[in-house]
Amino acid sequence: MAKFNNDQVSGAIWIAVGIAVALGSLRYGLGPLESPGTGFLPFLAGCAIVLLALIGLIQSTLKRRKGTGWTPILQGVLWQKPLLVMAALFAYALLMKPLGFILCTVLFIGFLLRTVEPQRWSVVIVGAIGTALGAFAIFDVWLKAQLPQGPWGF
Amino acid sequence: MDYIQSIILGFQVALQWDNLLFCFIGVLIGTLVGVLPGLGPTAAISLLLPTTFHVTPVSAIIMLAGIYYGAMYGGSTTSILVNIPGEAASVVTCLDGYQMARKGRAGPALGISAFASFIAGTMGVIGLMLIAPPLAEMALKFGPPEYFSLMIMGLTILTFLASGPMWKALLMAAFGLFLGSIGLDSMTASARFTMDIVELSDGIGMVPAVMGLFGIAEVLLNVEHSIKRSVFETKILSLLPTLQDWKDSIWAIFRGTFIGFFLGVLPGGGAVISSFVSYAVEKKVSGSPEKFGTGMIQGVAGPEAANNAATGGAFIPLLTLGIPANSVMAILLGAMMIHGMQPGPMLIQEQPGLFWGAVTSMYIGNAMLLILNLPLIGLWVRILKVPYPILFPLILLFCLIGAYSLNNSVIEVLIMVGFGLLGYLFKKFEYEATPLILALVLGPMLEAALRRSLLLSAGSPLIFVTRPISGVLMLISFILLAYPLVPWLRRKREILPQVSDDE
Repeated sequence: MAKFNNDQVSGAIWIAVGIAVALGSLRYGLGPLESPGTGFLPFLAGCAIVLLALIGLIQSTLKRRKGTGWTPILQGVLWQKPLLVMAALFAYALLMKPLGFILCTVLFIGFLLRTVEPQRWSVVIVGAIGTALGAFAIFDVWLKAQLPQGPWGF
Repeated sequence: MDYIQSIILGFQVALQWDNLLFCFIGVLIGTLVGVLPGLGPTAAISLLLPTTFHVTPVSAIIMLAGIYYGAMYGGSTTSILVNIPGEAASVVTCLDGYQMARKGRAGPALGISAFASFIAGTMGVIGLMLIAPPLAEMALKFGPPEYFSLMIMGLTILTFLASGPMWKALLMAAFGLFLGSIGLDSMTASARFTMDIVELSDGIGMVPAVMGLFGIAEVLLNVEHSIKRSVFETKILSLLPTLQDWKDSIWAIFRGTFIGFFLGVLPGGGAVISSFVSYAVEKKVSGSPEKFGTGMIQGVAGPEAANNAATGGAFIPLLTLGIPANSVMAILLGAMMIHGMQPGPMLIQEQPGLFWGAVTSMYIGNAMLLILNLPLIGLWVRILKVPYPILFPLILLFCLIGAYSLNNSVIEVLIMVGFGLLGYLFKKFEYEATPLILALVLGPMLEAALRRSLLLSAGSPLIFVTRPISGVLMLISFILLAYPLVPWLRRKREILPQVSDDE
């Protein structure tokens, strides 16, 4: 990775994204210019992404030659914490229907309070249960948001 | 209908008790959002959007607008007391506001920022009242080519003002246009890039995208560091600025109001840029520019006035042309559409109660904010002391509930979480998300205008430059895009503020 700088790496990724978008749009048909088809705008957007990413790639390559190297994006930060949060978010999304809102929320809040910046168990338990019940009362009971119910009816 | 009648109608709507209540809830939540770093008005409005589905459209718009201008008020409190801007538009307030607090003048700093916000917010609303109706009448002459060119100009201005290299901002806008094209084609009703997921037929929702890019991504960035906040321990003796303070800052307030309002009107302009421009202007006109950054009250009053006036200005393109000037307005546009309204030139004529009710409610809201902010500062300071490790799970939970309750769908939640990851990576690789959001919202409108224009002109793209209004708008966009070829212009852009924009 150190061979390239950040903009070179992201530029290359964007070129791939742009090509995928442009090729994907072709499937929907571009149509004639007097009556553009379904794929017309996404095709233009894909081409624009490729063009702009190429400009970025060229600029960043010139900068690389002048000595602008790779800046580590995770250095000096506690990168495990965002990872934990992301894992919790994905787990919440996947489990909220099978487990129901209240149980899923208790586990979610409890996990975050205990792992990201560990709190005392009393804070974790009271915080998790209190937040879940409070949010249920506000959003489901008061605002009628129809939050998912687990097999146990809440 | 003349102005007086319209304003009376507006007050009749805004003073209904339920609208007053929603206005109050809006400004209260807005102030809270402004006070809390890590949760901007964009994310907050997206979060609360689903809760407005059960109320009337007028009440919904009144509340959501209240959150926006309330956040501008609240943002200054954290800037002054903790040196952490509650939201991006209050970044410059830190410079002199925090220094004033350190010198024991936290009270006057908070006081003048509340008064400046009130004066500017009120004048912004008056400007909105005066300018919106004639502009809407003019906009009736707009056809698809003019709309297309105007949206292109909005996107170009936004990318021009964005921090970092322009190719990145333009690339984000192009990616946003692609994302906006996902779903059913509005002209042929055939599905595009939906991957057979039913939820994607309506397109990628702006709300989960905004909550992900601004709410979740912000939390992910914040938890990387152990945040320890220290509220400046000072007794806030008197919040009322002295006569000398008023003398020093009154012209700064007027200048800030003027700058903020007109920058707010420009699509892509807005509160953040206007607060920086106001600070720069104050420094320039001051007899002692070297003292800026050491606790000059003008450095608080000007930018605070500017960011509040900009909120009034920002409503103009939305309510008259149907084009959002920034990401908050984009969400309001979405909210209005959900409530069955089409913002645009016909709005004032077709829904005078809604338009004038919303506008006059902003005037009432500004008065509420002044009353809320001055006595409640002690409470906001206490809220500021809630540690971030306790706060962030709540922010995440609100985002999750907000995304789910849009359609009672887990797919929306997953889209939001995905955008959160994307937003985190964008920050790491220094891409600004605002052009993406604006393009995502404008995408379907822009596509319809483009295709209709080409139908009109039998395929000739010259229609965008041969029609006078469209031609002028295109010329402005071209000049902005051609800036790298003009060295002195490029230097000017480089001194623009390097901030992340979360209006």
